[in-house]
Amino acid sequence: MAASRQITRRLLWRALSVRNQRVWVVFFALMVSTAIVNALVSVYFDIDIKMSRELRTFGANFYLGPAHGHTLPEADFDRLVSAAPPGLVAAGSPYLYGTARSELENVALAGVRFSALPALVPYWQVEGAWIGVDFDDRNAMIGRTLASRLNLAVGDTLSLVKDGQKKALRIKGIVDAGDASDSLLFISLELAQDWLEKPGLMSHALFSMMNSAGNVEQFAAALRTGHADWAVRPIRKVSANEGNVLVKIQGLMGLVSIVILLLSTLCVNTSLTAIVSERQREFALQKALGAANRTIVRQVLLETLAISLAATVVGCLAGFVLAQVLGQTVFSASIGLRAWVLPITVALSLSAALGAAVLPLRRIMYIQPARVLKGE
Amino acid sequence: MPEESRVTATSAIEARHLSKHFGNVAALDDVSFSVAKGEFVALMGSSGSGKTTLMNLLTCLDTPTAGELWLDGVNAAGFDEEARRQFRARHIGLVFQQFHLIPYLNALENVMLAQHYHSVTDEASARRALEEVGLAHRVDHLPSELSGGEQQRVCIARALINEPPLLFADEPTGNLDAENEARVLEILQGLHSEGRTIVMVTHNPALGAYAQRVVRLQHGRIMQ
Ligand SMILES: Nc1ncnc2c1ncn2[C@@H]1O[C@H](COP(=O)(O)OP(=O)(O)OP(=O)(O)O)[C@@H](O)[C@H]1O
Ligand SMILES: [Mg+2]
Repeated sequence: MAASRQITRRLLWRALSVRNQRVWVVFFALMVSTAIVNALVSVYFDIDIKMSRELRTFGANFYLGPAHGHTLPEADFDRLVSAAPPGLVAAGSPYLYGTARSELENVALAGVRFSALPALVPYWQVEGAWIGVDFDDRNAMIGRTLASRLNLAVGDTLSLVKDGQKKALRIKGIVDAGDASDSLLFISLELAQDWLEKPGLMSHALFSMMNSAGNVEQFAAALRTGHADWAVRPIRKVSANEGNVLVKIQGLMGLVSIVILLLSTLCVNTSLTAIVSERQREFALQKALGAANRTIVRQVLLETLAISLAATVVGCLAGFVLAQVLGQTVFSASIGLRAWVLPITVALSLSAALGAAVLPLRRIMYIQPARVLKGE
Repeated sequence: MPEESRVTATSAIEARHLSKHFGNVAALDDVSFSVAKGEFVALMGSSGSGKTTLMNLLTCLDTPTAGELWLDGVNAAGFDEEARRQFRARHIGLVFQQFHLIPYLNALENVMLAQHYHSVTDEASARRALEEVGLAHRVDHLPSELSGGEQQRVCIARALINEPPLLFADEPTGNLDAENEARVLEILQGLHSEGRTIVMVTHNPALGAYAQRVVRLQHGRIMQ
């Protein structure tokens, strides 16, 4: 038995090493298609998250406000967060607006959770620095327009005054937002509630949510039915398109994968057909010597499988590199290596190879030694 | 029934009213003859007379359109493909006019391949078989590195490796020069003297003289 396995191995090895050119064609076709499919499958599953994160850098995409009146309890912020499916809410902050008197003139102010701002308003150009801590009541950020009107620079102090009370705030960052924020003074939420005498209240809240496949829209619909006192809406400009673009890009990648697999199947099929007809005499001889169809088919299948496996391994490695290149150029992010992408790619490539082998292998069964061998 | 047993007990090959038609071409037409065990028979006839067609039937590479073919006591005419394959592997040694070796296996491996399809490989006995045909120094050469005569001797070694009771050679020296031809015939005669049954196709009357008996074909029929 060991000796039989040895001759099978020799047949396999010799057949592969002798048929260099065709073997390389099969190898490269499968290797390239595996690489591309592996890269696309990796990106396909990663893109959901990457794309969402990418679009979310345009800022908050979800609004919660009072259905009636001007304020709602700050506790509603946490109620919404805990009602959300895990992982949906990436960042959020209550906002409380009001006006206060400063030593110089009246200013419009907004109380916020500072730590959430970089995620909610990533497009802000900040001179100086962001404030990192929510309860920081000694520093403030100020809109560009307001700062220039009050003639304030980073490091200067602005004092709020009220009924003989005085609250000094150091300007830590000057904000260029390109919108109404340019005229606002940003202070911590607690300080705002305290100074405006609206404890535990907020004007509205903004959230940045991970949107894949319309999750945000679904969540908003769910909230609307349960909370008559809330006005909730996705900030559509971003959310809706996000889903559509995603579906289109994923569809395109799926299509490209299928086309590439089909092309490589065709290419492998053509090469195997050529190999079988080149080796017709050899197979006829083996049959004449008493080899069963299944023995020869198994031998050729083994050869095909050996080439395919080698091509798949190299293709998967190349595919991972390709995925990184795609990830860097399109999303400026690395694509995560997901363990289950490998079995999917390997299964797709091997079925392409085996699918390509079916017809050539059938031809082997119909080779008639008497006809082939007598050819002078 | 008793008559059949009597005949097949002494005959290695017994053809009865064997015919082979390709469409409306009767390549073999009602052929009957027998070959005794241990006999060396030459099959002769002009081109197109049906020699190869008959050999294909005798070696179970093809099936007759009509008639019976008793090989070592069994009727091979009714064999299906699988039965013919097994019979070939166990009972028949084949030598072709065109050598037919696997191009990417060396001489030794080509011989071992026949062992592989028969039962199990045995490198030592494959080497011995090559020694017997005078190729001890060529075992690890590829067919492309061997002369025609050497290739044909590898084929003979391969045909003999499983010790088949029946050895068939279709123009075994057709592609060889005089020296190699003599050598191959010497080997065949040696095998005959060891008691093997041999059927050899040839065009050459000089070769026919080596055999014990000549069976002549003409237009698909036996001439007596
Ligand atoms: N597969 C086939 N289909 C149709 N006709 C065939 C086939 N094989 C053989 N024949 C015909 O049968 C006849 C006998 O052919 P065969 O090959 O047996 O001749 P042969 O005696 O071996 O000739 P040669 O000495 O030239 O090899 C020829 O007329 C040939 O044309
Ligand atoms: Mg012939």
